[in-house]
Amino acid sequence: MSAVVSPIREPLVTGGKTYHQITEDICSPTERTPSAAWVLAFIVAVTGLALFVFGVAWTVWQGIGTWDLNRTIGWSWDITNFVWWVGIGHAGTLISAILLLFRQRWRTGVNRAAEAMTIFAVICAGQFPLIHMGRIWLAFFIFPYPNTRGPLWVNFNSPLLWDVFAISTYFTVSLLFWYTGLVPDFATVRDRAKGIRRKIYNFLSFGWTGSAKHWQRWEALSLVLAGLATPLVLSVHTIVSFDFATSVIPGWHTTIFPPYFVAGAIFSGFAMVQTLMIMTRKILKLEDYITLEHIESMNKVILATGTIVGVAYLTELFIAWYSGYVYEQFAFYNRVLGPYYWAYIGMMSCNVLSPQIFWWKRLRRNVFVTFVMSIFVNIGMWFERFVIIATTLSRDYLPSSWSYYVPTWVEIIIFIGSLGLFFTLYLIFVRVAPVVAVAEIKSILKAGGDQYIGPNANKTHQESKEATH
Amino acid sequence: MPLLTSLAELNLKKVAMKNKNNGVWIGVEQLQNDPSYLETNKNEFTELPVVDSLSKGGAMDTEASRRDFLKYLGFGLGAATLAASCEVPIKRAVPYVVKPDEIVPGVATYYASSFVQGGDYCPVLVKTREGRPIKIEGNTLSKITKGGTSARAQASVLSLYDTNRLDGPYRVQEGKIQRSADRNERGPSWEDIDGEIMGKLSAGSSIRIVANTIMSPTKKQAFADFKAAYPNTEVVMYDPVSSSAILEANEASFGQSVVPAYHFDKADVIVSFDADFLGTWISPIEFANQYATNRRIKKVKGAKMSRHIQVESHMSLTGSNADNRIMVKPSEQGAAIVALYNAVAANTGSARVSGSKLESGKAGKIQKVADELVSNRGKSLVISGSNNKGEQILINAINEMLGNYGKTLDFNAASMQRQGTDKPVQDLVRAMSAGRVDALFVMDGANPAFDLPNAAKFREAMGKVGLKVSFSMVPNETVALCDYITPTHHYLESWGDVEAKRGQYSLIQPAIAPIFQYAGREGSRQTEESLLRWASYDMMSVMGGSADSTAVSEKTNPYYEKSKEDVGAFIFNYMKQHWQEKMFPQQSGFATFRMFWDSVLHDGVFVVENTGDTPAFSGNVNAAAGMVRKPSNAELEISFFETVNMGGGVYSNNPWLLEMPDPVNRCAWGNYLAIPVGWDGGNEFTSFMGLNPDESKGKADLVEVTIGGTAQRCTVVRQFGQMQGTLALALGYGRTETGMLGRAVGNNVGVDVYPWTSLDENGNVQYYATVDSVSEKVAEENRFACVQYHHSMGLTGEDPETGEEINVDEKTVMTIGEGYQGGLTDRSIIYQGNLEDLEDLSHHIEEKRTEAQKLNSHTLYPYDEYKEEIYDQGHHWSMHIDLNACIGCGACQVACIAENNVPVVGKTEVARHHEMTWLRIDRYFYGDYENPNVVYQPMMCQHCDNAPCENVCPVAATNHSSEGLNQMTYNRCIGTRYCANNCPYKVRRFNWFDYTTADLFGANEYDLNGEEAIPFGADNLTRMVLNPDVTVRSRGVIEKCSFCVQRIQEGKLTAKREQRKLRDQDVKTACQTSCPTGAIVFGDDNDKEGILAERLENPLNYLVLEEINTQSAVRYQARVNNKNEELDA
Repeated sequence: MSAVVSPIREPLVTGGKTYHQITEDICSPTERTPSAAWVLAFIVAVTGLALFVFGVAWTVWQGIGTWDLNRTIGWSWDITNFVWWVGIGHAGTLISAILLLFRQRWRTGVNRAAEAMTIFAVICAGQFPLIHMGRIWLAFFIFPYPNTRGPLWVNFNSPLLWDVFAISTYFTVSLLFWYTGLVPDFATVRDRAKGIRRKIYNFLSFGWTGSAKHWQRWEALSLVLAGLATPLVLSVHTIVSFDFATSVIPGWHTTIFPPYFVAGAIFSGFAMVQTLMIMTRKILKLEDYITLEHIESMNKVILATGTIVGVAYLTELFIAWYSGYVYEQFAFYNRVLGPYYWAYIGMMSCNVLSPQIFWWKRLRRNVFVTFVMSIFVNIGMWFERFVIIATTLSRDYLPSSWSYYVPTWVEIIIFIGSLGLFFTLYLIFVRVAPVVAVAEIKSILKAGGDQYIGPNANKTHQESKEATH
Repeated sequence: MPLLTSLAELNLKKVAMKNKNNGVWIGVEQLQNDPSYLETNKNEFTELPVVDSLSKGGAMDTEASRRDFLKYLGFGLGAATLAASCEVPIKRAVPYVVKPDEIVPGVATYYASSFVQGGDYCPVLVKTREGRPIKIEGNTLSKITKGGTSARAQASVLSLYDTNRLDGPYRVQEGKIQRSADRNERGPSWEDIDGEIMGKLSAGSSIRIVANTIMSPTKKQAFADFKAAYPNTEVVMYDPVSSSAILEANEASFGQSVVPAYHFDKADVIVSFDADFLGTWISPIEFANQYATNRRIKKVKGAKMSRHIQVESHMSLTGSNADNRIMVKPSEQGAAIVALYNAVAANTGSARVSGSKLESGKAGKIQKVADELVSNRGKSLVISGSNNKGEQILINAINEMLGNYGKTLDFNAASMQRQGTDKPVQDLVRAMSAGRVDALFVMDGANPAFDLPNAAKFREAMGKVGLKVSFSMVPNETVALCDYITPTHHYLESWGDVEAKRGQYSLIQPAIAPIFQYAGREGSRQTEESLLRWASYDMMSVMGGSADSTAVSEKTNPYYEKSKEDVGAFIFNYMKQHWQEKMFPQQSGFATFRMFWDSVLHDGVFVVENTGDTPAFSGNVNAAAGMVRKPSNAELEISFFETVNMGGGVYSNNPWLLEMPDPVNRCAWGNYLAIPVGWDGGNEFTSFMGLNPDESKGKADLVEVTIGGTAQRCTVVRQFGQMQGTLALALGYGRTETGMLGRAVGNNVGVDVYPWTSLDENGNVQYYATVDSVSEKVAEENRFACVQYHHSMGLTGEDPETGEEINVDEKTVMTIGEGYQGGLTDRSIIYQGNLEDLEDLSHHIEEKRTEAQKLNSHTLYPYDEYKEEIYDQGHHWSMHIDLNACIGCGACQVACIAENNVPVVGKTEVARHHEMTWLRIDRYFYGDYENPNVVYQPMMCQHCDNAPCENVCPVAATNHSSEGLNQMTYNRCIGTRYCANNCPYKVRRFNWFDYTTADLFGANEYDLNGEEAIPFGADNLTRMVLNPDVTVRSRGVIEKCSFCVQRIQEGKLTAKREQRKLRDQDVKTACQTSCPTGAIVFGDDNDKEGILAERLENPLNYLVLEEINTQSAVRYQARVNNKNEELDA
């Protein structure tokens, strides 16, 4: 058939899958012996995790002095990593909740993995505020628990406390959302499993039977959680930005921070989703579910948010000049031309300039380019946080206290180790849960209308089955 | 002196020993073998009355059931868990058995005494708590220092608890003190050592006593008495940083080998040739006080202040405070003095002299200086720090021509603070080499094997002396070459007296019993007593007929222990006798000696006024002009200078001083080679040979400096105000033997420059040299302990293109990559101006403040209303700092460390900017970039009423008191450091490691300088210096200046007890009391009368960063210069 095929829409799932094939494709990675690639990746990730544990133990045992922070620069890699990870944790919920509300049906191909990524990223993020205190056993002080000291409450004026609430709320809602989506899929896995696995998945799926009542309640809960999660996507990073925006330090004290941080977070979140999806679809052979369409859509988001971030950077510079305030002017002068100029260049080139290549459709749809770009964006966003935190602190009001900072090996292994923590969790996740939402992807299988027209048209269930085997 | 054990107790102890109870007894009954006691003792475990009475009628089953077992198990586990999670182990606390009368626990006792170390002198009040001296305060009754102190005096209390101190006399063999490795083992007894030393002395022995300046009349009397027994004894006095030439010049000019008394307060023009009179020269505390009184600006209209011109090559502390600096190379000093002499002579009609010529540009400046001086005849003062006799004679002649004698300097109260001359000690070295010295006694503080220019020769000559005894408290380079060390007391354990200026006496009295004696050691013994014992002096004669203490022993005298407690009894009586004979007759205020003595002991000072005319000047100026230094043609010269913290090297085992940054170059833990800074006319500052390009990133270069053929490796620091073609390096560093093995924190800190000093034709030590070569960078210094790089605020220079004067800071604010540490001038941190433009300055400040206040009024939370309701009600603490009075000496910084238990962190940690100082002195340069002026700004917590740190703390660990204090609750702090980040003044300090060894974990206890034994601060001896009123912070906690809240509390309690209102100056912070110039005043804002209220009215006051609405409580008064613009041209 050489005639031009013009489906109504590009199919969201390619390869002419049947419902059964979807179940097979997605559930089988949890049932097979892990591939060599997975094993290798897991070893690397766990090694990273071990580094993390060692770095943290060293910090706790020796003290924060093992880091190179000083009297002037009280935060650097620690909080940079924290903000970076929180930012990464934005895409999952955005994809799940906001795109769900906007009826963006392509989201189903990536939402499960993106949500998992969110949860793991927030777990990683949550480590840093605890570690950076040094004496982590006192961390419970930041919770407003009933006590006999007066009672002595936490300081509700402190943005750090808002962080505690914002992040724990975000984590809880994201976790619930994610797990809710997993329940019918766990039931699918259970139905295919035997023995002890069956028991475990039965437990995990809360005895899901697939009755209409179950589906109805499930739909309702998903919608409610989506409604709850949507404002959270915007609030979490807004509140994280308050850590800086409410301070008096020039370069931190700016009203532009909330939207700028949220845009940056979505930007980096999508980049991380790209990084993971491109690897996952390759390793787990899920190219039909996570298609070039997905990649292109996400690249569009990256282009848009990257440009927003770029505008924000330029606005900051303009306002610093326009304000006529010497300290602000100096802070930005220092950012661009000071001793950390290379971090600024890194930030600008990775975040603002490089995503501009996505104006070209060919590059948007190029898997390799996308992968490289996603790494670039993540580096750029890490630099952005470093520039905001360390560069700003290193030279503030009183020149007498200006200082310089380079990380120690402890700080470096904690950061690398946090990547290990993240990937360990993610690799376990791909082994135990369906990486794509089975129940949801089935709902969009025929959304493109390609079952009626084109190479996939009119295939019977039987034919498809034979084609697979 | 506290009674550590009472006599009654000792008797009981002996009875107990007799009872063979292994020294353990319970109550008097047991000791007396009371029958009722024996009865109960026999039946000790036979009754269980409680169980018996409870179980009557079977109400209680005493057998444990399984349920009980589980309960106990659970409780036990729970209790064990709770106990195991307790954070800090409790260290020993021993209560008084019998409370001494004069000690009330929790209330400090003060004793008047005097800090003396060589020529350093400071009358002090010693604050003791529970018998421990913990803090030094200035003695306000002193006419010399008027209550001021220095960093050295403040830090001296730590030396008392130096773990390197020797706990008794020891033999020294082959450079090693023969001391058992087991610290509990007792060393040789005093009797043994006395016997051995006396055995080696005979009446004809040629004995030499080497000492630094001795100001004690009693000590000199003791030397005289010693000499009576050993007639061939001579005292050789020298000073490591010598003023020999001044003494010789005054001998030549006026027939008096003394340093005259200077009156900087009476001088309107002060010209100093390389004399660091505010930092280290002769009597800096006194001079700083005088200097500041004539430079205080109280009103804007008709304000007056002295003009200070400094002629030097290196930016000294004094030079940094000067209005004008004229830069001449070290070798040109003589020519400059000759030029000034001739210029003044021409103006006053005296004859010119011919001597070294100064290059015309500089000569022109000197001419202008001469004009100034001549128009202020009798109200000027010219001094020189030179150690060249000719130059000093010319200086005397200049002052004579200007009619300054009897006005700004005189001989009536001549200073005794420098008595050491350079020739005798050189004679001694020769005599020793020739084997003409039988015995050498080295006084405490003197360290000729280290600090002589030809120390190597001295060390060699030591081998030819039969008997060498050191009286040093701690090991040093000279001790290592002696045969015996017979340590003297620390001054806080001693009796003594001081005559710092003619007729101005003060006393030294012990504030604690000699420590080691009470720790069961042989203990130290005062030098005077040792000498007199060896001289078989009749000690009975002064002991008022009590038993001959030399004959006292445990066997014959049941009060042996008691009399040991009275160590010093002999020296006390000896000194008293001397005072009765010599000082008592000089006064008429007291009828009996007893009353006189009590009064002097209470006040600590006693003054006999001397009056008289200055003797006529009789110096030969022509000969003098021939003696001055000859300008050198060498490309590079270096000057060696003394720093405020290290002196000649005697303080180099004191961690407080080691860690105190040099005020000018702001580097700690070492001496750093100062290199000149230039400007390339474009965007960058340049440095000598392009060294230290990354200084702003905390990286310094190491270079090899070769002088006189010997090379040493030095760390470089860029230094504004260092003359092109010159370098500078501090004296007193690079010591190799500062303490016991494994405990010496001062070992190998910096470079020893004494071998680079030389002797001139007159035998005086010269503190400059020509540099053979400086290598390129040979390595990188990985521990560059600099707390502030070269920050400037308004350096000016000439635009190379237009030739106009431009702001170099703004031009060079940074370049890509390098990022020079220039500041933007417009920051509201420092305000400074010239005396003639004072009104402009005042308007400028007013304008800026009005603008800031207008900005601050745009708020939802009106501060004024809040202030009215809260702070205006009770006290509202605040502070005023006069930047014109602050000379940057750093006394306040060390005082703060002593008062507030601020930890010392060591060189590596300082290099990482982990220093813990609550109060720092920021230094900014302004004015001409090659020859800038300096302003010092003491910076501590500003106690903002709208504090940025407070609202960001998630756990409310830092909060505000109703009296305006920003408070830290240490045990609430979880260490997020958010407060430190958000502090605009960057005054909050974080305990990165367990600096105080107060933490649960042992791994992070830190050593300061590679010492192997117990870390500094962990030793019980060192911990005795801690102020019990201030919490010792453990790691992970933020700390900062508290406005000495413990002193506020004490003041309030005192007022309450006395049922009165708190008065102005009832409460003074530690920094305030330590300041020699009175730059800091603390008080209550709501008190409208008093010193603070008066200071707060000054129109030159401002708040640092007022526009960010922190509502800070520290008011600064702008810096004012009295610059002669012509001299800059």
